[in-house]
Amino acid sequence: MIDVINLKKNFGEKEVLKGIDLHVDKGDIICIVGPSGSGKSTFLRCVNCMEDPTDGQIIFDGVNIADMSVDINIHRRKIGMVFQHFNLFNNMTVLENIMLAPVIYGIKDMRAAKKAGKLQAKKTRAEVKEECRKEAMELLARIGLQDFADAYPSTLSGGQKQRVAIARALAMKPEVILFDEPTSALDPEMVGEVLDLMRRVANAGMTMLIVTHEMGFAREVAKTVLFMDDGRILETNEPKAFFNEPKNPRLKDFLSKVL
Amino acid sequence: MLAKIQKFIEYFITYRGYVKVLLGLKNTIIIAVIGLLIGIVIGTVIATIRVVPKYKVLPRVLDKFCDFYVALFRGTPIVVQLLVFYYVFFPLIGVQITSVNVSILVFGLNSGAYVSEIMRSGIQSVDPGQMEAGRALGLSFSRTMWKIVIPQAVKNILPTLGNEFIALIKETSVISFVGAADLYAAFNYIGSNSYEFMVPFLAMALIYIILVLFITLLIRLMERRLAVSDRRH
Ligand SMILES: Nc1ncnc2c1ncn2[C@@H]1O[C@H](COP(=O)(O)OP(=O)(O)O)[C@@H](O)[C@H]1O
Ligand SMILES: [Mg+2]
Repeated sequence: MIDVINLKKNFGEKEVLKGIDLHVDKGDIICIVGPSGSGKSTFLRCVNCMEDPTDGQIIFDGVNIADMSVDINIHRRKIGMVFQHFNLFNNMTVLENIMLAPVIYGIKDMRAAKKAGKLQAKKTRAEVKEECRKEAMELLARIGLQDFADAYPSTLSGGQKQRVAIARALAMKPEVILFDEPTSALDPEMVGEVLDLMRRVANAGMTMLIVTHEMGFAREVAKTVLFMDDGRILETNEPKAFFNEPKNPRLKDFLSKVL
Repeated sequence: MLAKIQKFIEYFITYRGYVKVLLGLKNTIIIAVIGLLIGIVIGTVIATIRVVPKYKVLPRVLDKFCDFYVALFRGTPIVVQLLVFYYVFFPLIGVQITSVNVSILVFGLNSGAYVSEIMRSGIQSVDPGQMEAGRALGLSFSRTMWKIVIPQAVKNILPTLGNEFIALIKETSVISFVGAADLYAAFNYIGSNSYEFMVPFLAMALIYIILVLFITLLIRLMERRLAVSDRRH
């Protein structure tokens, strides 16, 4: 589904990614670990071109989206992203946060269908909105926050915010979701609820790329774990071998510090 | 003093001085309100151009134009702008325009330059994560700006926009330079007819003060409402 080929990223003179290759299949759950400053966030942000790669290719569903001439917004619809600091829209309620993009794209698709003359696809704006609202409410029920539909983000706890942010990503029915340290900004007692939700999303078959410091979670949920250091992937393995028999000395050193 | 006040009241009422005062008040408010609305539109557009990523040529050219525009309107007194538009620009292009309409236009263009700076700082005060989240959902830069960043920016700068409105109200006292009826013209008229200027100009000062205090009160109320919604949110 995704092929990252020789991805490089410089910030000015500084080489942050020094040639990354990664193949992601549908349903893969890949955890990325590594010391801070090793380029994990930068890598994840290159996958949906939030940062434009300096060199290399990101092949997503057969298209090189690192090419500046492709319309990146079409592809980002299919790539969800969950941030360390949640980044819920402060001026919107929980429900509006989840509905915003689906409504915009629902209306866009409806217009396109009308233009193409597909009569059965004819829906009114109100119908599109109502459909998105229903789906958003179902999502909220799934994350147990249906009572907070009309609340504003500033009244939610960190854990609740991150669950809403995950629901917002799911509402787009993406093919893959990128998580950048989704629990790092949370108070310890809220980490569990977010990891629980991520586990459920994983069990439902979502493809996920997760930067995390939660080694227990990586060991349990990941199909593959990557170790990044200094802009390179130094080790890739299935979780058991990754944690029990690390080969790279830098990984051994890293694991001895965090485990 | 009492005689002067009596004279003023006589001219104010019997000689229908109040009609001119009301007309001046109306012009002051119309010019300030519409001027501010135009200013907000222009200012938002300029501020957006300012913060747009500058990879391509077009945003860079527009940015330079905005620099020029803002420097021009902030670098010259508004009286000069009024005079130039009324006596130079419009006659040159052969367009007839009333002095009130010129004033509305010039106040709009002028406050656009100031509002653009206010709006830019408002946009910069919004967490960049908001733009990131919008873009990550596949929304375009302009859509994210419009739906997410600008509403939060406007909320942050509302008090400053209120100050801009008060500044505009006060600055309308120069529109008589192009012959528009304002408070100065009205009270000057009363003064010239009654040969007594002390009370008319005192009354003019009072009206401006009351107007400004009233607007300040409105802004306070608006801020308090927003604060309430902040707590509830
Ligand atoms: N926008 C940026 N401009 C300049 N340097 C950056 C930028 N983003 C990240 N960096 C640098 O790139 C390096 C890797 O950062 P990051 O990808 O955030 O690492 P990690 O997520 O693994 O902690 C760091 O040295 C950081 O300072
Ligand atoms: Mg990071």
